[in-house]
Amino acid sequence: MAIKDTIKPTRSELIGLKKKIKLSESGHKLLKMKRDGLIIEMFEILEKAKDVRSELERDYAVAQEKLNIAKTIEGTVAVNSTAFSLMDTPKIELESKNVMGVVVPKIESTSVKKSITERGYGIIGTSSRIDEAADAYESLVEKIILAAEIETTMKRLLDDIEKTKRRVNALEFKLIPELYEALAFITLRLEEMEREEIFRLKKIKLKE
Amino acid sequence: MGLFSAPAYAYITARVRARKKKLIPRDTYPKLLNMELPEIIRFIEETEYKKDVDELSARFRGIDLLEHALNRNLGASYRKLIEISRGQVNYLVTEYMRRWDIWNIKTILRGKYYGASEEEILDYVVSAGELHYPDLESMARRESVEAVIDSLQNRPCYQVLKDYEGGMLNRIEDELDKFYYARLLDAIGDSPGEKLFLKFLQTEIDIKNLKTLFRLKRAGVDREGVQNAIIPGGLELRGPDLIRLLGLSFSELIHSLDGYSYWSSIADIVSEEGTSLTDVETKLDAYLMNFASRISHYYPLSILPVLDYILHKKIEVDNLRIISRGKELKLSNDVIQNNLVM
Repeated sequence: MAIKDTIKPTRSELIGLKKKIKLSESGHKLLKMKRDGLIIEMFEILEKAKDVRSELERDYAVAQEKLNIAKTIEGTVAVNSTAFSLMDTPKIELESKNVMGVVVPKIESTSVKKSITERGYGIIGTSSRIDEAADAYESLVEKIILAAEIETTMKRLLDDIEKTKRRVNALEFKLIPELYEALAFITLRLEEMEREEIFRLKKIKLKE
Repeated sequence: MGLFSAPAYAYITARVRARKKKLIPRDTYPKLLNMELPEIIRFIEETEYKKDVDELSARFRGIDLLEHALNRNLGASYRKLIEISRGQVNYLVTEYMRRWDIWNIKTILRGKYYGASEEEILDYVVSAGELHYPDLESMARRESVEAVIDSLQNRPCYQVLKDYEGGMLNRIEDELDKFYYARLLDAIGDSPGEKLFLKFLQTEIDIKNLKTLFRLKRAGVDREGVQNAIIPGGLELRGPDLIRLLGLSFSELIHSLDGYSYWSSIADIVSEEGTSLTDVETKLDAYLMNFASRISHYYPLSILPVLDYILHKKIEVDNLRIISRGKELKLSNDVIQNNLVM
């Protein structure tokens, strides 16, 4: 439907339209700034995410190797028996923080990294291979929690960048041009109506 | 205690010599190391482990099957020693094999603490000591840690277990290990062979204490924490010397070990930064095995040949497991070889 068919060419409509244009343009400017800000934020997070991901892969390889060595030398029977020693599971607290209006998670973990005396197994009957495997897996779990926080933040930021970009584009290429088109239409129509009015007045004056 | 009975020793030493001959020769391990996993499995299935592999094949698969079969065979071999020995030999072997009872009790207590099922717990016990599989089954069926402890009221280890006050089991586990060594040291008589056995045991205690010192000092555990995990009765690490070592930091500790005979075996791999203690532990274990090999032939009619067989059987089981599990988990041949006792 053409814009001419939906709006009334009145002065109040013109005033309203001008206000809308002003609001849309400032909204567009703000959204553009938000989008750029989010992109900068995103690139910073991206670097962190890349680092954490590579650290995570490295830690996983180390933990797997340590566990494999423990399983090979001590035996899976010994490793699994020792694994029964600990009933405590890591606790995770999920909070949120605001990055330029985007709500991202903040994950706090406790009881992940334990000292050798807190792991529940006796020292005399176990070996450093078990310690090293447990230690490597504790570090890995900590890294997984950190990676989860960073990667979720990245995903949320990406979603919001996409959403903001759509809004900016809608304002820039659809709404604002249409508003200007409507403004031009009303201005022209009002001028036309003014000319008609003058013409009519002249005609009346001639008859008198 | 300490009675020296030549006929009893003659019989048991003859039996263990015959059994030792059945063990896989040392020069086989380098060959196994160069084989592919299916070839290694086939090799093991052609040895005395075949029966155990066949009997367990319904419950386990792959290398797990092999590992459980090796453990089962080890348990049966050790129990056979208890059955065929008499008098002081039987007493000593039974006391020595209590380490497996302690192992099984610890596993069952851990399983109950964790809330594991009876089947899960029984998968990780090795019936090689005085406690037979039905005893272990009945313990694993108990409801809780406390109920398991109650079921052991007639066993010597109850005097340690009765002090359990709930919570984590690490303290009680260490006390059980200390109790095991204290009883074993008491059981050893004063015959020449048993004196050497005592020396071996004291060396084993030293090695265990040294490993404990390395692990706990590196982890920054305080003096009291370290002391709780130290086994009394060592050979070189004892008295004021041991008390002094307890108070040192990790770096001070490694600079204080120079005068001990164990130092030469680990001097080249221990450093202040010491990233991994696993190599140190491997070298210390090798030191103990070399010591055992050296003394094993001193007194042919003594506990020493029996100890030699016990250790060689354990080495065989460990080596076969290390090679097959290491190959399965794609560990490098160097890592596997460094951990084999040959």
